Amino acid sequence: MEHTSSRTTEDGASGQSGERSWTNPLLDPRDLRMPRIAGPSSLVIFGVTGDLAKKKLLPAVYDLSNRGLLPASFGLIGFGRRDWSADQFAAFAEENVRAHSRTPFNEATWRHLAEGMRFVKGDFDDADAFRRLSRTVSELDRDRGTRGNHAFYMSIPPKAFPVVAEQLAASGLSKSAPGAWKRVIIEKPFGHDLESARELDRVVGEVFEPDSVFRIDHYLGKETVQNIMALRFANTMFEPVWNANYVSHVQITMAEDIGIGGRAGYYDGIGAARDVIQNHLLQLMALTAMEEPVSFDAADLTAEKTKVLSAVRLPKDLGAHTARGQYAAGWQGSQPVIGYLQEDGIDPSSTTETYAAIRLDVDTRRWAGVPFYLRTGKRLGKRTSEIAVVFKRAPHLPFDATATRELGANAVVIRVQPDEGVTLRFGAKTPGSAMEVRDVNMDFSYGRSFTEASPEAYERLILDVLLGDPPLFPTSGEVDLSWKILDPIEEYWSGQGQPEPYRAGTWGPAQADRMLAADGHHWRMP
Amino acid sequence: MIVGMQNTTTAAIAHEIDEMHVERGEAALGRVLTLIISCRQAELEEALRTVNAASREHPCRVIAIVTDASLEGAGCAITTTGHAAQHECNTEIPSGNTGERTLDAQIRSGSDAGAGEVIVLAPVDGLMDHLDSLVIPLLVPDAPVVTWWPGQAPGDPSADPLGSRSTSRITDVQRSTDPAAAFEALRRHVRNADIDLSWTRVTTWRAMLASLLGQPPHLAVSAVTVSGQSGYLPLELLASWLALKLGAPVSVERDPGAQAITGARFEREDGQLSMERLEGDHAVIHQPGQADQTVSLPLRTPVDCLSEELGRLDPDEVYTEVITRGWDLVDHRG
Repeated sequence: MEHTSSRTTEDGASGQSGERSWTNPLLDPRDLRMPRIAGPSSLVIFGVTGDLAKKKLLPAVYDLSNRGLLPASFGLIGFGRRDWSADQFAAFAEENVRAHSRTPFNEATWRHLAEGMRFVKGDFDDADAFRRLSRTVSELDRDRGTRGNHAFYMSIPPKAFPVVAEQLAASGLSKSAPGAWKRVIIEKPFGHDLESARELDRVVGEVFEPDSVFRIDHYLGKETVQNIMALRFANTMFEPVWNANYVSHVQITMAEDIGIGGRAGYYDGIGAARDVIQNHLLQLMALTAMEEPVSFDAADLTAEKTKVLSAVRLPKDLGAHTARGQYAAGWQGSQPVIGYLQEDGIDPSSTTETYAAIRLDVDTRRWAGVPFYLRTGKRLGKRTSEIAVVFKRAPHLPFDATATRELGANAVVIRVQPDEGVTLRFGAKTPGSAMEVRDVNMDFSYGRSFTEASPEAYERLILDVLLGDPPLFPTSGEVDLSWKILDPIEEYWSGQGQPEPYRAGTWGPAQADRMLAADGHHWRMP
Repeated sequence: MIVGMQNTTTAAIAHEIDEMHVERGEAALGRVLTLIISCRQAELEEALRTVNAASREHPCRVIAIVTDASLEGAGCAITTTGHAAQHECNTEIPSGNTGERTLDAQIRSGSDAGAGEVIVLAPVDGLMDHLDSLVIPLLVPDAPVVTWWPGQAPGDPSADPLGSRSTSRITDVQRSTDPAAAFEALRRHVRNADIDLSWTRVTTWRAMLASLLGQPPHLAVSAVTVSGQSGYLPLELLASWLALKLGAPVSVERDPGAQAITGARFEREDGQLSMERLEGDHAVIHQPGQADQTVSLPLRTPVDCLSEELGRLDPDEVYTEVITRGWDLVDHRG
């Protein structure tokens, strides 16, 4: 999804310096081999000792640097409670980069990156710490030439957002000088319902301009997800059948094989639907169902996603068309595992769901009568994410009934992870003298056709923030619409008591199967 | 694994590859391009090492044609050296060919072939004049064909029997016996899909310089100086590109003792911006009113360059403009 129009706004040219008409003479939209390198800037990470920073953010920064996509003037500031020097922070970062980076470790690259690393010790409510942060930022501007361009990555629990935002405002860090930028990156959850999402927006909005707020949904940084748009809008063979005339229904699945692990404090009371459906699955649905955008610029893409999200209709009978479950003890693969209610830190009477499935309809001419089934869960059969567009059966089959007994519905399956790619499912004659038709798969795999390792989603997204390129980030409007879809379902569920237990390592509660059977469909086994 | 096929035919080779795919449960259709290498025996192993590493990013079918083979004598015309020679799984397929011996071949796969398969062909005699029909049965169906000359570049790649059928033609005149003459020929015959790796070698420099000029204040550049090794085509191309894009005079400082490109300096009314490569792996950026910055800038390896070319199959119009219009804007003598 490279698009040429963003090239002219790269780097400093996007600043508020009134030089918008200036274009870099060395950049040429036809010059596709030139990598997009971020301009001078720094990344400030709050919550730098957390899991996300250790496993994803620090390695992604290193990988970007190793691919030559970060500028010479780049700084990385960690903010946390530990009593660390810059060197200790760099050692911590190095350890995690070595363990998790995608590209090989290169001493020279690391040395340059480490020179720009700083650590600021402090608590979020400590005004002094933010004054020290402000000094460190100025010091980077002076010594590393970061020129007042700074991105603040909130890798922290949402309840800490307001205080950090206030501190950034009070210490003057949120203000940018002319020609420079300050951006803030926030991670899901964007609130836990519409009201809290709006409150969060208000808090962040008081401090940062709306176009300086980047909400990360890391699914949108994945190559396969961007490929949905290539598949749909660059080809001729899919679009003609991508509608209610041919499509029977759509199944969007994100299954995890792990339990809640150490996330009890966050997960309990939130549950699968708020954790995954509200953001990842509704975004995947929007990309699958939206009309063709006028261009791939942020505004045009958002317009189409917003249209389709606002056309979503909930089922009248939420009891029959939604399902939720909670994993019980069982065997996950070949290991015995405990149930959700036995997990550390979980209230034994918790009604939080670890599995959620919902039916949504899209009230547009394209999708009238086509249900979209969204499901997600923990401790399911295996880790997989996919979008399956399942087609109607042929209106007439000129074969004996016995010939097509084994024939299922045709499907286009976009495999998001793992083994990224696309599968086409259709019927073929089995060899032999009798006419017998059976389902076969035709496969496209990213790994085999292109590259063994595509960039991590976080690499792409961090680079996009530094370049100020917003198409892959959901807007607050999309977040609000998603909550409007989910809130009535959550409200209904809250009056339903205990979710139905399902044995760990299976594909969820029986309720979910009944929900599809009622419509005459069944879940694909991914 | 290396399968040797002495005195063979393309039909036998195609059959052997299909068998191999069935045995290993792979789909040959997964390959998105065919890469043809035209080289001399002495260049073969190095070219294959490069392509094997690059194929990790771009799985492809490789057809390497050895242009100076001799089939006289009993052994296979393709001598394997280095790692490939020590491999144990070498097998020979007996020849079923009853005609005159015109072709020896090898099929390499698994650890000897990166993420694809490699077919090495050693044609002789009359077959040398029909290299296009030699490779046709072996191409990946309906996929782009890229031809790479790792050594001596043909004067007119698009008129070459292999080049004329290719989607993209990669030369490397820096490694020709007379680079200057070879480049003059390329320039005279340049077509849209031609590319020389000398251009690929300056991508990093170009990106860094573009990023440098992208920073405010956005003032006009009045003069440019680039410096580097004498007789180094990438340096001349960088100068031509800057002259074309900036519309400012560009001078080139050549030093026989230098390695590759060593620096670029822009004169503006606020002073001089520069990027100088000091040692092999890093460069210092100087901007008026800013502290100097060091940046990692390792020399590009052949693998980097080939990977970039395989990732980008569309014609590079900027390159064509640089070697046609940009070239004459700079004094390349000296």
